[in-house]
Amino acid sequence: MSDKNDSTKQPGTEDLDLACATPEEEEALLEADPTYLKQRAAVQQHLEQVRLQRSDLPPEVRVGVYICRCGGNISDVVDVERVAKVVGLIPGVVTAKVNTFCCSDPGQQTITSDILEQNLDRVVVASCSPSLHEQTFRGAVSRANMNPYLYEQVNIREQGSWAHRHDPEGATHLAIQMITAAVGKLRYSTPLDQIKLPNHRKALVIGGGIGGMKAAVDMAGRGILVMLVEQSDRLGGRLNERGRVYPSEKMASEFVTELIQNVRANKNIEVLLNSNVTSVNGFIGNFRTVITGPFGPAGATASTDQLVGAIVMATGYRPYVPRDGEFLYREDPCVLTTPEFIQFSQSIDDRTRDMVYRGRTIRSIAFLHCVGSRQLDGVHEPQPDGTLNTYCSRVCCSTILQQALAVRERFPKVRVYDFHRDIRTYGRGEEDYYINASKAGVVFFRFNGEDPIKVERNTKSNGKKSAPLTVTVKDALTWGEELEVPVDMVVLGVGMMPSHIEDLVESIKLSTGEDHFLQEVHPKLRPVEVAVNGVLLAGTAQGPMNIQETLNAAAAAAVKAASMFAKDVVELNPFVAVVDASRCTGEAICVTQCDYEGALKMVEVEVDGRMVQRAEVNAGLCSGCGACVPVCPTRALDVDGWRLDQYNAMVDGLVTEAPSAQCGVPELVHLG
Amino acid sequence: MTPATEQSNAYRPDALVVGGGIAGMQSALDLAEQGLKVMLVERGPSIGGHMISLAKVFPTLDCASCITAPKMSASSHHDNIKILVNTEVQGIQTIGGVHHVKLLKKATYVNFDKCIGCRLCEYACDAEYPDPLEEGLGARRAIGVAFTNAIPQKAVLNPELCATCGTCARVCPTDAIEFDQQSETVIVQTDAVIVASGFALNSLNVKPQYNAARSRNIVSALTMERLLAPHGPYGRVLRPSDGKIPSSVAFVQCAGSRDASIGVSYCSRVCCMYAIKQAMLLSGALPIADITIYYMDIRAFGKGYEQFYQNAKAMGVNFVRGKVARIDPVDDGDLSLHVETTEDPENFLQERRHDLVVLAQGMLPEWDMSGTTPVQRAADGFVATPMLTSPTVTTAPGIFVAGVAAGPKDIVDTIAEAGAAAMQVSQYLYQKRSANVTESQSAVLVG
Repeated sequence: MSDKNDSTKQPGTEDLDLACATPEEEEALLEADPTYLKQRAAVQQHLEQVRLQRSDLPPEVRVGVYICRCGGNISDVVDVERVAKVVGLIPGVVTAKVNTFCCSDPGQQTITSDILEQNLDRVVVASCSPSLHEQTFRGAVSRANMNPYLYEQVNIREQGSWAHRHDPEGATHLAIQMITAAVGKLRYSTPLDQIKLPNHRKALVIGGGIGGMKAAVDMAGRGILVMLVEQSDRLGGRLNERGRVYPSEKMASEFVTELIQNVRANKNIEVLLNSNVTSVNGFIGNFRTVITGPFGPAGATASTDQLVGAIVMATGYRPYVPRDGEFLYREDPCVLTTPEFIQFSQSIDDRTRDMVYRGRTIRSIAFLHCVGSRQLDGVHEPQPDGTLNTYCSRVCCSTILQQALAVRERFPKVRVYDFHRDIRTYGRGEEDYYINASKAGVVFFRFNGEDPIKVERNTKSNGKKSAPLTVTVKDALTWGEELEVPVDMVVLGVGMMPSHIEDLVESIKLSTGEDHFLQEVHPKLRPVEVAVNGVLLAGTAQGPMNIQETLNAAAAAAVKAASMFAKDVVELNPFVAVVDASRCTGEAICVTQCDYEGALKMVEVEVDGRMVQRAEVNAGLCSGCGACVPVCPTRALDVDGWRLDQYNAMVDGLVTEAPSAQCGVPELVHLG
Repeated sequence: MTPATEQSNAYRPDALVVGGGIAGMQSALDLAEQGLKVMLVERGPSIGGHMISLAKVFPTLDCASCITAPKMSASSHHDNIKILVNTEVQGIQTIGGVHHVKLLKKATYVNFDKCIGCRLCEYACDAEYPDPLEEGLGARRAIGVAFTNAIPQKAVLNPELCATCGTCARVCPTDAIEFDQQSETVIVQTDAVIVASGFALNSLNVKPQYNAARSRNIVSALTMERLLAPHGPYGRVLRPSDGKIPSSVAFVQCAGSRDASIGVSYCSRVCCMYAIKQAMLLSGALPIADITIYYMDIRAFGKGYEQFYQNAKAMGVNFVRGKVARIDPVDDGDLSLHVETTEDPENFLQERRHDLVVLAQGMLPEWDMSGTTPVQRAADGFVATPMLTSPTVTTAPGIFVAGVAAGPKDIVDTIAEAGAAAMQVSQYLYQKRSANVTESQSAVLVG
């Protein structure tokens, strides 16, 4: 048995020899691994046992295996050429090739042309995590008319080369084992069809701030029905609390008004104020949601059930609230957060020439950056739940500089001090605030995160005129000199924290990141999508963003919804439980084990003229978790795509040492 | 050159996207997924943009190709996307709400219908020149496929470097070489345009006091990307002048941004993060090398960026706050940096020696469309976006903008904005067409 003369084989340097090892190669293998002969004997013995035990011999398959170098990410650790050589010897593997980027177009073309030219009926790509490119390769094999569920992705990067960077031999061996398992699984894989379910062309937007309104307006502008749910009594969200915003210097109310007008003018949008989404069930295209609000007679609280196809999370952020006593917050009335300062600043009469706060003329203000952001372990006090806000809140620098500049322009007598770690005026037009604030006489101090600023009451009081507060800073701009700056007011540049949406996170089964904001699938590949299909992120629910970034994120979420609603049906992976009716005895144990309401139920069917109970699966509600499979006393349940015989084959693959030795095995296949 | 031909019966896309980088591809995909027909126009020989030259991307350290190559592939396989490479947009005229986009299809001297991408011509060609995709570190031939994963896989001949020896035509198995091919101007009509023309970098020599012209060891960040890429020109990090493995690498930040003296007062927004990323990759590739980042402010503002910065600090990357005043080439190809630091009051004016220096150049708009199109630019040179609540709408109705064409942006923000632009376009088209339907229906009713 030799593939050497196989005419279907393509010439080319990357097509590795698939034949049984020649005597020379055996010698090389022996040299590389002294236990080779022992392994070979063990494998032959094992396979002989398998052959004797199994009445159902593995089906004959034609598998193509593609091993990705990932431009060095994998091949710098895993000996991919050796992996190809070894797995090429697995019975049923027709070709095993190495490619620098399997996901690139030429890489995909190699696979599709092999499928067509070598009549492959199964494909394995050993590369990155399936979460990155399973869709990519399923698409590729589909283009060659292969059923996409006869494709398996083996993760030899995240679980291989990256995890075992310092053990190339182990990582190589692991790659071989994992590929062997995947090939084993594929022997028992059958073509599956996507589950097609109705797509309810309506979106639920949770949150009526600018992110939610923008997403609603954009979707409605494409003819999609939108239900916009806002928990407060008005639209606009946090922007309602703002005055002029950077970099446009327009009033925040202009943004809000423009969006509210667009919302109100669009008959596709229904706005529910004072309302909350209290329950979410179902799946993409078919979310059953319950919204509670003043829908009863005379505004009494009542609930309404809404069936929607997509959910847009526009739940926004809440400003960080300093702990009592943090920089004297709530202990001294002249310590304010930025939102509080903005409210105060807006309340000052335009004709006033002095800045007066609670009867006191303010002659100096300190703005502190990074309050509740960029926190460091061992320096900052954690939240009650023990976590630190290690992230940058992105908007505080420009907000502070905008406010600082406005104070200098409006009240030139007020001295303004800025205490920062880094000035992050990164956005378009934002650097100008820094330049202009410097020109306008704002005095900058810089501190290291490890040496936080202190705000204290001024103890060296000398009469009524002295400033009540002292800011102490180890100023990096004067090479670490400790400076005491007396001020009348301290403004804390507070960062962003995620809104309290724990119930929704639980109900929709969303994942959150270390920063507790909602977690996208991938920041570049699927930036506004979450692991739950059909749920999209619009704005600061995902992490700190400024107004323009929020608007862009909301529009990007809307475009995903529009793409999804471009189809009449939603297509789901067919990995759901299936019932073998001939085996089901109607004991309903599976139903008691099922965590997904409605996914499994007993139905009355006629068998031999008698009405009996049999289990039935609702494919749309089944998550494919498999909890029902082991409890069935008659093994009537299995999960498509992850059947027990597939698991058995995978385990066999994992425990089969070095398939390089399986020279005698092709005959085993032919016994079938 | 032939006069512009109005192609009345030709392919008429719903939208035309200018630029085949990550922004253009994402916009095109998001439009195509909604069932709209898109023409994606790229000036170079392949789509992919700047991202294909990058090694890995922050903050996930994914390989850049793993993000770009599949998007390239998806664009090329999408039934609703038609890709035109080697094509420049020369102007846009809007007549009655329809954009007439004037395209220069540059002669490639290869018949794309015949070329099978076998690269035999490339292997046979003797005329070599520095490969722009390798930042000049590698060589490429006067004819050939742009790069291994290029889309389309078609050879293109560079007439300026061709020795007209005819070898390529002799070896081509499909007779695809056409030395007499002419550039062609065509006009494509479309209802919407997305400008995703990306960025250029200002010159390494923009600050003469950095003396980049006098040392090959003062490199651009894109050169460093190629040096770090496992599939780069050397497959390892070597300094260009003599192939020495660098032992002390300096990153000079804001070497072309935040500097009114060179006319770029804005922040280029990505340099802090790519410098940190390159520093991290370098500490992996050259474990014993000293790596120093000279900066004014570290702007690690995005999701996961601050943690990335803190990780780099923990890995031993030196962060020195100080603006580099001057760089002088010294002996052995090394460089002396004159820098004012904020660390040591006794010794704040320092001279520090490094053997490789990376300059963070500023981002500039790649394409000046004002004058040839109705689109206006803002004072910073990037496309003006006057709409308060729609940041991807330009001054010209029906023309939208995505990515760095509307100001410096990282990949994450670019991709979000590309989606946003696609949303704006699809909404614009939907409303325009439903309005038309209503008009024609009422016309019928009236008639």
